[in-house]
Amino acid sequence: MEKTNAVPGDYVELSLVNRDYQGVFLESPENEKGIVLLKLDSGYNIGFVKKEVMEVKVLKKAEEKIEELEIKKNSEKPNVAMIITGGTIAARLNPSKGGVDWLDNPASLFKFYPEIFKLVNVSKVEVPFMKASEDMDFKDWQKIARVAVKLLNDTNVKGIIITHGTDFLHYTSAALSFFLKDLNKPVVLTYSQRSIDRASSDANLNLQCSALAAISDIAEVMLVGHASENDDFCFAMPGAKVRKLHTSRRDAFKVVNGKPFAKIFTDKVINVSEYNQRKKGKIKADTSFEEKVALVKIYPGQNPEILDYYLKKKYKGIVLEMSGLGHAPGKRARNSWISKLKEVQKRGLIVCATSQCINGRVDPLVYSNGRELLETGIIYLEDMLSETALVKLGWILGHKEWAKNRDAVKAKMLENIVGEISDRLEN
Amino acid sequence: MTDKELNYQELGLKCGLEIHQQLETGKLFCRCPSVLRKDEPDFSVRRKLHAVAGESGEVDVAAAYQASLGKEFEYQGYNDVACLVDLDEEPPRELNRAALKIALQISILLNAKIVPLTQIMRKTVVDGSNTSGFQRTVLIARDGFIETSQGRIGIETVCLEEDSARIVSDGVFKLDRLGIPLVEIATKPEIKNPEQAKEVALHLGGILRSCNVRRGLGTIRQDVNLSVKNGKRIELKGFQDIRNVEVAIEKEVERQVGLVKNGESVSEVRKVLPNGKSEFLRPMPGAARMYPETDLLLLKISRDFINESKKTLPKLKSEADEEFEKEGLSQEMISLLLKQSKVEEFKELLGIVKNPALVAKVLLVFPKEIAKREKMPLNLVEEKLTKDVISNVLDNLKRKKISEGDVKNVLAKIVRGEDFVKAVKVRKAASMNDVEVKIMSFIKEKPGLSMNAYMGLVMKEFKGGVDGKIIMEIIKKYVG
Repeated sequence: MEKTNAVPGDYVELSLVNRDYQGVFLESPENEKGIVLLKLDSGYNIGFVKKEVMEVKVLKKAEEKIEELEIKKNSEKPNVAMIITGGTIAARLNPSKGGVDWLDNPASLFKFYPEIFKLVNVSKVEVPFMKASEDMDFKDWQKIARVAVKLLNDTNVKGIIITHGTDFLHYTSAALSFFLKDLNKPVVLTYSQRSIDRASSDANLNLQCSALAAISDIAEVMLVGHASENDDFCFAMPGAKVRKLHTSRRDAFKVVNGKPFAKIFTDKVINVSEYNQRKKGKIKADTSFEEKVALVKIYPGQNPEILDYYLKKKYKGIVLEMSGLGHAPGKRARNSWISKLKEVQKRGLIVCATSQCINGRVDPLVYSNGRELLETGIIYLEDMLSETALVKLGWILGHKEWAKNRDAVKAKMLENIVGEISDRLEN
Repeated sequence: MTDKELNYQELGLKCGLEIHQQLETGKLFCRCPSVLRKDEPDFSVRRKLHAVAGESGEVDVAAAYQASLGKEFEYQGYNDVACLVDLDEEPPRELNRAALKIALQISILLNAKIVPLTQIMRKTVVDGSNTSGFQRTVLIARDGFIETSQGRIGIETVCLEEDSARIVSDGVFKLDRLGIPLVEIATKPEIKNPEQAKEVALHLGGILRSCNVRRGLGTIRQDVNLSVKNGKRIELKGFQDIRNVEVAIEKEVERQVGLVKNGESVSEVRKVLPNGKSEFLRPMPGAARMYPETDLLLLKISRDFINESKKTLPKLKSEADEEFEKEGLSQEMISLLLKQSKVEEFKELLGIVKNPALVAKVLLVFPKEIAKREKMPLNLVEEKLTKDVISNVLDNLKRKKISEGDVKNVLAKIVRGEDFVKAVKVRKAASMNDVEVKIMSFIKEKPGLSMNAYMGLVMKEFKGGVDGKIIMEIIKKYVG
């Protein structure tokens, strides 16, 4: 195919050796640049190898559609603000072009999520960046926190909703829990697992329930999403106690070692556990963060010399996701971790322990392996989630006044600051 | 007759058929088996669907109509025939190759051109019959034709798509049917009159039945699209009986002619009633209903795969007739093989033993006889006599471990639940050598009896466990 002046959306005629085809010229798939896609009048898309297309004739140029949707405000409804950061919930397929567009125009929210506007006014929409959550890091958490503080300190805003990709959403929710302590208003994170172009998208219920959460009196960082496979209610889950536990189900997020704050239906909030109440006043973000922290999963036969790498690369802290109650290969193992753990801690590395069981608390006292590991000085983080532990360690070490003193770091890591540690675990 | 034809021509009838046929494979986009269940479901899930904007930005008319009902849907499922894909909780798995192969064979039999590069699409459906809010469908072939007594009728498209969930009651669906592969054949609107429509429907039905498709009520569904001069397009759905096609078209044309006169013709989907009349079902779906299935790669149909599909192309009835007649099968057997869709099995088994009459009996007669003798339902017998079991038994025949007359007995034993090895071994216990020695001793002990009398003695001795034909041959060697 020679260069063509056809652009996605144009109605064209493709000439091949034996016949011609008419249809809408589409964007080539990301991984198939040698292919031309055409939408036939029947609606079906078919492809052609570019080499075999002799000519592309534009029959009708695509019409530039300017969407002019106005955000209708109703003074009787409470105002919420939205922060859009990317992910499935903010991505929509543009079928006329065949590609995916970000839904970053506030007005387009109306088109896709008319239901949330029944309950609230979305008075402000901020888009600090558009990213898949697996592409985010602590700098993005800081950006979100700064935008959030600005909105939370606006007296016209009752609460905020942050839409986010699901993959690393629980890291962001943990980070915001530490960055935005002592909240005055609800900070609601939500997502979708099913793309919003389908009628079955879970975004609808998640957003409706998020809107209710944002105007509720729950002044916490919380994740709001499907409680089950049914489209009936969501859970409002504590930001530091939640984890993605399924790759694809709509109820992918579960509270681990804890309870949700509330059950949220589209028309009511039913409180389940204690939370901080909404209050007056302004808040500040505390976003200090030490980037040199790591999370390492222990596996059978693992050689502890991997720790030398982290020291060499100037890491300050590490969370080991251990087996069972908090074990790593001990004295009787071929590759014992005991002496290496002593050595790296002596050389200044902070080492914390969580469990790869996900559910339950670590306890090094039950087995001799655990006691020997405890003696090396590692910090056992109770029932804290590994992901929350990593974020917390980065946040603690980001504060110079704590980071300079090993005992202070330990004390802070074991202090329940935002609900990341539970004193008691219920059945 | 000619009056009527002229009539339809003058009325400007434009008519096409759309046929949906379930394929005899597992589901299309997951690895669940295609089994419909009658028992109590294992679980149920409640969902809501929302109107979504189509590609033009407009909310589709039909979609909006359905969503405006604001319904909550309940989906009932069985753990072994509905998985997370059916529940819209997991992305689709790769398209089922076995189903694709059958779709290609159907396309080839319809003289249609296969689309080598094609995109799996989502067709918006918000009546609740799909948990996802859309039906996955892919264009497989276009521009085919079939011949009828009134001339050639073009085949517009052959698509492969997933079936919808089965409606149980208002707003309640069963997930067992969701995802079963369907081939959708759409003819061009070239059908001239009701009579030809019926012929096309029967012809297409015949082609489909020659392929590996599901049988029975609800496995094939026909829709009719029609319009008359100055009228709007109407879709007629829900034919219980193919014979109704003719009557329903006649009645709808009559109705349309009346509506056109008053300028009242409206494009809509109508449900056909048993008396051939029809009633309003829903507005006609808008055009903006299709967008790509973004969770799957482009479907590439290779030359090799098309050739492989051609190699096992089923014979149409007329072609099959000739071939089987050459093999010495009776017309009755041939039509039974075709009717019960056992042609492929027949050919395969013929590869083991070149004995068409026996293979036909094994497939068509023995199961019925065994069912009668064992007082078991036929479907249970057929379930136990899988193709593997039968080929194993025939293989034993080929290797002379058993004789032709033993085949039915061995099959009966397997149906009774006897272990395969044991069922075949019993034959070995009575080795032909032992039988021959015994026959010789009978003749010596009781000389002068008739051949049938010796036969009776031998059969009694071996409790019917030996092939009568062989015994008779041995007896003949020594008597007469």
